[in-house]
Amino acid sequence: MKPIANMTQPEIGALVVSHLKKVGIPVVLSGGAVVSIYSHAKYVSKDLDLVDIYFHKKSKIMDAMSEIGFVEYGRYFKHPDSEFFIEFPPGPLSVGAEPIREIIQKEYTTGVLMLISPTECVKDRLSAYYHWNDQQSLDQAVLVAANQDINLNEVRRWSEQESKLAEYNIFLSRMKS
Amino acid sequence: MFSLQSILGSESCEQVLMFILARSQGYPTEIANFFKVSKLPIQKQMAKLEIGNVLASHLVGRTRLYQFNPRYPFLKEVKALLEKALTFYPESLQEELRMNRRRPRRAGKPL
Repeated sequence: MKPIANMTQPEIGALVVSHLKKVGIPVVLSGGAVVSIYSHAKYVSKDLDLVDIYFHKKSKIMDAMSEIGFVEYGRYFKHPDSEFFIEFPPGPLSVGAEPIREIIQKEYTTGVLMLISPTECVKDRLSAYYHWNDQQSLDQAVLVAANQDINLNEVRRWSEQESKLAEYNIFLSRMKS
Repeated sequence: MFSLQSILGSESCEQVLMFILARSQGYPTEIANFFKVSKLPIQKQMAKLEIGNVLASHLVGRTRLYQFNPRYPFLKEVKALLEKALTFYPESLQEELRMNRRRPRRAGKPL
């Protein structure tokens, strides 16, 4: 296996996800790192949010991470040879009021990465836009939608559930412009 | 008066959640002063609720202001539970919790 210092962000993610799965801690990549992967690095994020789906004890995660050389720095873990930060936001894996069900597997030489699907990623970014009026998140949703196949009917249905149809239409017009 | 303490696990947690339910937002000193308790357990509880995604915060000047995290998946249900629990509080406390000045006050205006 290539040295950690030479691993890309998804390769590091795959390494950690696979190791944690092996020790019984399933995690799924969400957040900005997924945008980075689906936008082919047109958006860059230095951290990886690995959602701990089944609420494991922090000490168990710490032990598992130290086995592969990661050290805890406050809320984050970092390998001394890597520039990427890893965080474990608490579950459930959700977007708005709904659970995320569409999980994708991507294989790398370092392991198998579990990450939310492009459609869920768009919903995740739109959630931040809908509730915090965060324009960067809207930009990221548009970026992912431009680079991936998205189920727009699903995004619309979910937006309606969140009572955010007007904001969804802004997203749609941004996508088309 | 604490009606959810047995399931929330602490008085401070209920105080924080009830205050934010009633007033939409709050900061540790304000909540501690309202319930006449020390600030530390309130502060710790708010930090814990933020890590759990129940609350979200942002800085306003030098004050960290907390509110419910609109992206928390169980928010609607949690609020419904708190609303019901609030109806079991003495009416005077319910009123006091809900009563806060929201309209602006011009700087330098005498009382």
